[in-house]
Amino acid sequence: MTRYVMVIDKRRCIGCHSCTVACRTWNKLPMDIVYNPVLTEGVQGKWPNVHREWTPMLCQHCEKPACVPACPTGASIKDEDGTVWVDYKKCMACKACVNACPYGMRDVSKVEEFFHRFVRKCTFCRNARQINPDEMPYCVKTCHQKARIFGDLDDPNSEVSKIISSVRTERLLEDLGTEPQIYYVPDMGGRL
Amino acid sequence: MRHHYWEWPIATYLFLGGMGGGMFFLAAVLSFIVFPEHAVMMGSALAWPIFLALVWLAFGCFLLVFELGQHAAFPLVFLNSIKSVLGHGARILVVCMVFGILWWVSYLPWGWISGLAGFLATFRSINLFIAGVAGFCIMLYTGIFLSTLKAHSFWATPALPVLFTVSATSTACACIMLALGCTWLYPDAAPIALAAIAGLAEEAHELLHTLDIILICVEIIVLLVMVLSFVCAGNKTAQAAANRWVRGSYKLLFWGGMICCGLLLPLAFNLCGLSAPAAVLALCGGLLLRFLVIFTDDRAEVPGETKYFTRLKKVGEPGSEFMTKWTDIENIY
Repeated sequence: MTRYVMVIDKRRCIGCHSCTVACRTWNKLPMDIVYNPVLTEGVQGKWPNVHREWTPMLCQHCEKPACVPACPTGASIKDEDGTVWVDYKKCMACKACVNACPYGMRDVSKVEEFFHRFVRKCTFCRNARQINPDEMPYCVKTCHQKARIFGDLDDPNSEVSKIISSVRTERLLEDLGTEPQIYYVPDMGGRL
Repeated sequence: MRHHYWEWPIATYLFLGGMGGGMFFLAAVLSFIVFPEHAVMMGSALAWPIFLALVWLAFGCFLLVFELGQHAAFPLVFLNSIKSVLGHGARILVVCMVFGILWWVSYLPWGWISGLAGFLATFRSINLFIAGVAGFCIMLYTGIFLSTLKAHSFWATPALPVLFTVSATSTACACIMLALGCTWLYPDAAPIALAAIAGLAEEAHELLHTLDIILICVEIIVLLVMVLSFVCAGNKTAQAAANRWVRGSYKLLFWGGMICCGLLLPLAFNLCGLSAPAAVLALCGGLLLRFLVIFTDDRAEVPGETKYFTRLKKVGEPGSEFMTKWTDIENIY
């Protein structure tokens, strides 16, 4: 069975925000919606031992998502391949899922008409994969540093499987029990 | 960091829904447990307070629906998702209102509706029982719903459903006491019946007065235990939120508004026998509690999140005109 995950190698990310722009452009997002912000706390340390770390974010496509059971209309759906997405036609924008998501990766655009608003979130570019199953999410295709790697965790030969089984990876807010499916390779303060 | 998405309509709904549900619950308790031998007369005394409960629930539902983004999808709430607490809440609200209306209509004194009222009088007990149970579930679910949102440390505590249930019962007590004091609401009743109803209403008023004193004491304890335990032993997010209540920007609203004016003063007034001002203050306290809780929407921060999002322009801010000029948005309609 297919189980899509993403590995984000923080050692490789240089904070160029290309993934953010590619996602916004390809998914035709309203101006106040960002699916994958690239976060940083700024420069850390003291000269000459300074370092800056970037955390590219996106929906964590959790194994046990908090948003899906919170949805009263059944608009939030988790596919068998692990993709969590919103059926826009069913969403009434009650914002229960927005408040349930511990990562703040769901949002409602205020740019759109008042009675035509719905919750938007990253779908691992599900619509592109429906046309071509081998299609990668736009953020992955755009990342020139190859910091974002996407693939099937259940395939032992996939790049993501090999990385997750061989390198120490971290997941965000694991103590909440949502089992996020975005694995971060930590930066280790600039040491490879 | 703050994760602010729900505005005043949701806070007001939580207050009105809890109070309306609590009024049905108390009406059922008074009719079935306290005065079972005078259930019909008790019903006559409570008919107009219950009308108020229906108004609160209807207005709360209106606010809830008003907040939605796509109203056309709203009916799906009744069809989908067995797991969603919000979905169960919506279904319970409808059950409470439908059976509440059926019970209330059976007490209407006007001639033009006497046929229907007479027919519904046969089912009064079952209607009130269902509405009372559903009312209790409404009181519970508002707190349970927030406490299931584990992203928000301040909400994800078992103390919140207890606090909301106690507060909802207390505000329901206050509202019924205020409504029972208005004898001009029974102009059509015959003098003898009116005297009997008024006597029963007086007894119910006394009982609710005592109950309100107990509930306010319990509410003070639960509220202080919840907030102070977060201050002393909560995780980082909950501690920051609770500190905002105790010694931060909400301290005046919490200590002055919530604890003093919303709980201690009503308790003092109730003990002095001044139930009307106590009831008004208790209602204000209940509303303030919902607002404070809903606006304490802190979420654990992913490092760098606050820095990123505070630098983004928000729609409506000066200089954000460019955001509405962009029209290349995915059209799903």
